[in-house]
Order: sequence, then C-alpha cells, then structure tokens
Amino acid sequence: MSNKSSRREFVKRSVAAVAGVIVLPQIIPSTALGMGGKLPPSDRIVFGLIGTGSQGMSDLRDFYRLDNQVQFVALCDVDANRLAKAKEEVDTANKSKGCRTYGDYRELLEKETLDAMLIAIPDHWHGIIYSSVVNKKINVYGEKPICRTIKDGQTIVSAVRKNGIVWQTGSWQRSQTHFHRACEFVRNGRVGKITKIDAGLPDGGRGIGTPPVQEVPAELNWEMWLGPALKVPFRGVSHWDWRWILDYSGGQLTDWSGHHIDIANWGADLENTGPVEISGVGVYPAEGIYDAPFEYDFICKYANGIEMRVANASRLPLGMGTTWYGDLGWIHVDRGNKLTASDPKLLEGEIGENEIHLYKSENHYQNFIDCVRSGKETIAPVQAGYRAISVGLLGEIAMTTGQTIKWDPDKEEIIGNPRASRLLSRPYRQPWTLPTV
Amino acid sequence: MKKQYLFLLLVAGLLTFFSACNNEAHYKALIVTGQNNHNWQASNPILKQLLDQTGLFTTDIIITPVKGGNMTTFDPKFSKYDLVVLDYNGDTWTEKTKTAFLKFVRNGGGVVVYHAADNSFPEWEEYNKIIGLGGWGNRNEKSGPYVYYRGNDIVRDDTSKGIGGTHGARSEFMIKTRNFEHPITKGLPANWLHGNDELYSLLRGPAENMEILATAFSATRGPGQTPGNTSGQANRRRNGRDEPILMTITYGKGRIFHTVLGHADEGGGPAMECVGFIVTFQRGAEWAASGKVTQEIPFDFPSAAGAVFRPDFKEITLEDAMANIGSYDIAKSTKNFTFLRNYIRKISGDEQALLNLEKRMVTVLISNEATVDAKKLLLRELSWIGSDYSVPAIKDLVSNAELKDEAEFALVRLQPIK
Repeated sequence: MSNKSSRREFVKRSVAAVAGVIVLPQIIPSTALGMGGKLPPSDRIVFGLIGTGSQGMSDLRDFYRLDNQVQFVALCDVDANRLAKAKEEVDTANKSKGCRTYGDYRELLEKETLDAMLIAIPDHWHGIIYSSVVNKKINVYGEKPICRTIKDGQTIVSAVRKNGIVWQTGSWQRSQTHFHRACEFVRNGRVGKITKIDAGLPDGGRGIGTPPVQEVPAELNWEMWLGPALKVPFRGVSHWDWRWILDYSGGQLTDWSGHHIDIANWGADLENTGPVEISGVGVYPAEGIYDAPFEYDFICKYANGIEMRVANASRLPLGMGTTWYGDLGWIHVDRGNKLTASDPKLLEGEIGENEIHLYKSENHYQNFIDCVRSGKETIAPVQAGYRAISVGLLGEIAMTTGQTIKWDPDKEEIIGNPRASRLLSRPYRQPWTLPTV
Repeated sequence: MKKQYLFLLLVAGLLTFFSACNNEAHYKALIVTGQNNHNWQASNPILKQLLDQTGLFTTDIIITPVKGGNMTTFDPKFSKYDLVVLDYNGDTWTEKTKTAFLKFVRNGGGVVVYHAADNSFPEWEEYNKIIGLGGWGNRNEKSGPYVYYRGNDIVRDDTSKGIGGTHGARSEFMIKTRNFEHPITKGLPANWLHGNDELYSLLRGPAENMEILATAFSATRGPGQTPGNTSGQANRRRNGRDEPILMTITYGKGRIFHTVLGHADEGGGPAMECVGFIVTFQRGAEWAASGKVTQEIPFDFPSAAGAVFRPDFKEITLEDAMANIGSYDIAKSTKNFTFLRNYIRKISGDEQALLNLEKRMVTVLISNEATVDAKKLLLRELSWIGSDYSVPAIKDLVSNAELKDEAEFALVRLQPIK
C-alpha cells in the first residue's frame, strides 16, 4: 500500500524535477539531454549532496560509479573550500560547469528540485536536516547513525513514514555478500536458539588535550557548523574529529552502531524492536575537550531473553564484528570477508528454498537507485537504522547515568527514571528547532 | 519487635566493626632498597607513600649496605611481613638472607617486583623463578624463553638465541590490558596511555606459573636488533612485539606481582606520577599480600585519550574537585569536571546524595567568583541531574548573555517530564 502511494508520488516528483530543469535551460548539461549518456536523461536520478567531507564525497563517487545513473546538480557545505573542491570534481564528472553550490541547506531546499539527496554531516545536525529534506519529499541516502538522540530519531522515522519517501541508511555492510550470508544463516537457526550476541566496535583513538582557541578559518562558517549545538569557541576541531565530542556524537560507539549492531539486529530479527534493560560502563578521557567514551561495555537484554553485549573490540573474545551465540554454536562476521563459526559445518550448504531469505542487495548505492525508481523499500530502511542507533544511544544513557535503564521498546520510553529520560533528547540552541512532522 | 531491634543493633555493630577494619592497615609491607642502577633514593619514599595511602598497609623500608659493603648486615625478618616490595638491583645477598626470602615466598608471602628489580641476580635460579622474566646482567637464551604477545596470541620462544632485556628511548606508550578477569586488572580500560617511561623489551626468564596481565607494543623486533622508537603507527606495522608490562607469578604458596613500570626521576617524574603506574602498583601489592583486591578503580585512571598524572601522588577527592571547580579553566585542566561527572555516575541512584551535590553545584553556579567556563559546564550537568531546587538559580542566568544558551538548554531539560 505505502509502496504504491510512494510510487505515485515519485512519478509526480520526477515530472516536477524534469519540469524544473526545463525552466532553467542554462544549467542543463549536454549529457543530461541524452547526447552521450547511456540512459535517457529522464531516467537519471537528480541528486543533491549536503556535506562534502570525506564520507559524502566517497558516497558520491560510489554513485557515479554506477554507470551514468545519477547526476549531482547541487552541493552544500559550511566549508567554502571543500564546497569549491567538490564542485570541481562533480563538474568534471558531469562534463559541465552547472553544478550549483550552497552554504546553507535551507537555500538549497528552497531553490532545487531533486529526486534524491545524499547527506553526510555531523550527527548533531541529523535531526533537523534529515527531517527538513524528507519533509520536502526528497528521497534520502543518509549516513549512519541516523540520529544523535532518540528524539531526533523518532522525528526522522515519522517524517519518512508520513512523506512516503525512499530512505537508505549508509549501513552498507548489508549489501555485502558475507554479511548477508551470516545473517541468513543465523535467521535460519544455524546457531540454534540465540542466547547472546557480541557486537565489537572500534576502540577510541588518542586525545588531543585542549587546543588553544583559534581564529575561525575564513572558509568555515563556524556558527552554521555548530547549528543547534551549544556555542563554543573554535579550537581547530570540526571536520572528522567532531566524533569525539558528546555535543556532536557519541564517539566510536554511536559511529559504529549503524554497522555491527545493525548487522546483529538483522541476523537476530531485532530490527523492529529494542532492548528492555541496558546497563554497563564507559571509559571517559580524564583530560581534554574530547569527552565521548573511549571505551564502552554494556549489556542489552531483550524481551525474548537474548543478551547483546556491545563493547570496544579489545574487550571481546572475537574482537571486531558481530557474533551470534546459540545452543548449537556461534557465527562471527566482520569486514574483510571474515565469516567464521564454532564449527565450519554451520556455514556449509545453501539456504533452502523453504527457509528464510533476507532481502538481497549486491550494491548499496544501486539498491537505493533501484528503489528510488521503483518506490520499494531499500535494504537499509529508516526503521532498522533507527533501531540500530537506539541501542548505542541507550547504552550511552546507561553509561552516562551509571544506572540500569529500563526501556519500553514499543512505546520507546524509559521506564521510571525521569533523569535518564531527559537524556533522550538534547535541547537545541535557539533559533534552531526540530521540524514538525 | 524486640528481637528485630536487637538484630538491627547487631548489624549496626558489625558494620561499625568492618568499617573500622577497613580504615586500619591489614598488612605489613617491607620495601627492600639501597642499591640500584636507578634512583632508589627517589623511588622508595614514594612507594611507601603509595602503599600507606591505600589504608591497607603499614610499610617499613630496609636499606641495604652500599655496593661492595658488608652484606651480612642485611638480614631482614621477612617472615614478619605480608608483602616484600623489591626496589633493589645490586650485590648478592648472603645465603642466609636468600634462604629466608625463599622461605617467605614459598610459605605464601607476597612480592612486588618493581621496575629494575627484574635486572637483579641473573645467576640466582630461584629468584628468576620468582620474577618470571628478567633483563640485562648477561641474561640470554640460558635464562629462559622470550615471552610476548603477537596479536592475541602468547608466544613463548624457547629457541631464539639473544640478549635478555633492552629498552628504547624513554617515551609515552600505550598499555593494553590482556586480562579483564584478574583482580588486579578487572575494571581497567583495555587501552591506556602511560607517562614517559622505559619500555622494557626482550626480557627472558623461566616464566613458570606466570600470567601476563598487560602488554605494550615495542618496535624492538628481535634478539640482537637495535631498539627502535617504541610508539607510532609506522612502527606498529613493522614486526614488533607486544611486551609483558604487568605480570603475576606464583612460587610455592607465594603470589608475585611484577611491574616493569615506574622509572624514577628526582621527585618521582612522569613514570611514577602516572596514575596507571600508581594504581596498578597499589592493586598489585594488595593482591600479592592477600590474593584479592578491594580498592576501586579511581576516576582519574587514564584511557587511550591520554596519560593522567598525580604530581603529589594523591587521589583527587570530592572536596578537592568542588573547591577547585569554580576556578575552572578549560585550557588548563578538565580533571575536576571529569571527576564530577564520574562522581555523579556513582551516586545518581541516590536521591539524597544527588540533592546534596546539586546544592553544592548551585552554590558555585550563583557565586560571583566562579568562571563562565565553570558555570557553563555546571549547567550542562544540572540539566539532567537537577531538581526544582536548581530552577530559580538557572532562570536568573537566562539574562546573562554569556550563559543564556546553556541556561536555556538546562531549563528545557528540567521541565517536568510526563
């Protein structure tokens, strides 16, 4: 049902997109008119990108590798140097100088008509920008984690549902054969009844102490970089290293929740629920401006009896990756094509015709494009992305408070702990507010 | 009714008794020093201070005759003690003293082998069994295997020839906890930076009944090779080893804790002031003396983010933190706030303790002396732990241009939750 309606909306939007291009003839690249492209221009997905840093550009290149199926026409960043560099690269790829640039996503949303938006920005901006883009009925490929707080996540999920757009989370491990295979084996009971899961995520790096206050570089709009976060003087920490500061991120824990916790959930069929009890400890830097936990070790209990342990890899017997333990043994999966088991026999043979088959995608980016065309659900839909990061965020609350947190995964509320409940959101600095859905 | 009352009295009495015990020194410790290629004059009073401040030990120090002196006068009564801390690398002891020491350990005495004490007595076979691994003093393949980690596997190399013991230039290095279950290392971070120290590598010894609790990566690649820089990503990719840093050994009934850390400078220096050294030394000493560890991991234990130092060798207290928090300057140190955050974690289930702390925080918040930085951080913490008590004081700060954002942040969160 929802797929049908979103398909209809998609078609409408596609027409609008083409119309939009037609009234602005000066920016139509020749390739977009079908003079050399393999696909007719109406079939090419018209993209915008918010966040031209390393992850955004890496994703963008992956989309361009899909054999002439996309065209990025608008880029946005708060760093003018990055923006100019990105435009150069995109113009080269487009064989045109027409790609437009913006320093403010609001202006981009006002002026552009797009099929899809790629978004790769610091987590503290996700709530506002993801919801704003979705409210414009633009399909989104959004980097994980979906949100900085549970409340941001709830808003984004509602926005995606209400607007019926196609959403893909950047949890690309789902589109790798061995991760898919591991999850299918586990879903089909190869380890027996699952009793526990280990999710091993990276250890923290090194701190930097407290660097002196610096002049903001001319190319950086620091006020806009901070956005809804509390105002602090610029100390040279912005791009990339924002992930070690709690105002913007929860550290490696939240950065990687969208990978190995996401895979854990997929294999154990926990994608549409959450834990009921969370407790554990974090290791916080004693000195300096980095205040996210550099180590973490917490247990999530689920209503069905499964216990998921989330910890930095050094603390776990099998290190990085996801391990499902059951009464018949364990299966472990990690990057680098690593798929092992307590007994190699658990990994033999194929999944039978009558067994459970999980959604299959060979390429995370192609899957998004296909779904934008078809209106179908992607391999990494918004709900799964939200449930993956909510495990990390609830762990963060348990570690922050030092308490055992009780969580109602249906109502999505903390039970009987008003102080911990306050940590489900981070108030925004005025004038920023979460968009209404 | 009456019976219940009596029972409560009994419980209260027992609690008083146990808490009194806690404040009393349980164990007697003896530090052996007097000869060393290191600054033993600097290290031994610090080691005593560290033991005594746990409240678990009363510590004596025995100083041997100087090098070449008459060792027959060195005749400690080991058996009077629960723990012997070896800060000694020097002349051979008399047979009588050696025998007494071995008897002490075999009968269940605790030993801490501190830094260069593992250089001592290369020829004394039983001593080498006690330290597990040793270095220098012409130690070589005859002394025993090299023992180290490669990845997650312990390597016990009985076949390679080569020197026992070397170290590169002093540097800061990352220590990796290898055993999260042992009482000494239970609860420690998996990775923690240690202050500028000598990273011992290529130690050799009998390594019997030995368990490695922590390691550090050394670029020293193998026997006969020049030690390289001991840290850094470039070296990490080379063929180095994760060398044992903290070990336990059992000998007879005796428990031995061996730490290669703590190179002493005048007044201590970064290796001894490092909280990682201090805390593992204190925990190792208690374990060696008793087989258990009752000390909590302090809030200032270092992480991979950076080494942490106690220049005065004292643990920060709530009183220190609250007294200094008003003059907080982020550019200088964040440790009082780290303490506060960890303290909140510890007491956040206790309404009364939390309210008491909240009141103290508000006192700083409304004082004229407290810095803007301090108030900003206090507002962030109060935003989630605060009660109605904080609200009026925070409302007053909304009109303060420098604190408006943080005050509004706190007030949004402090709204009653449905």
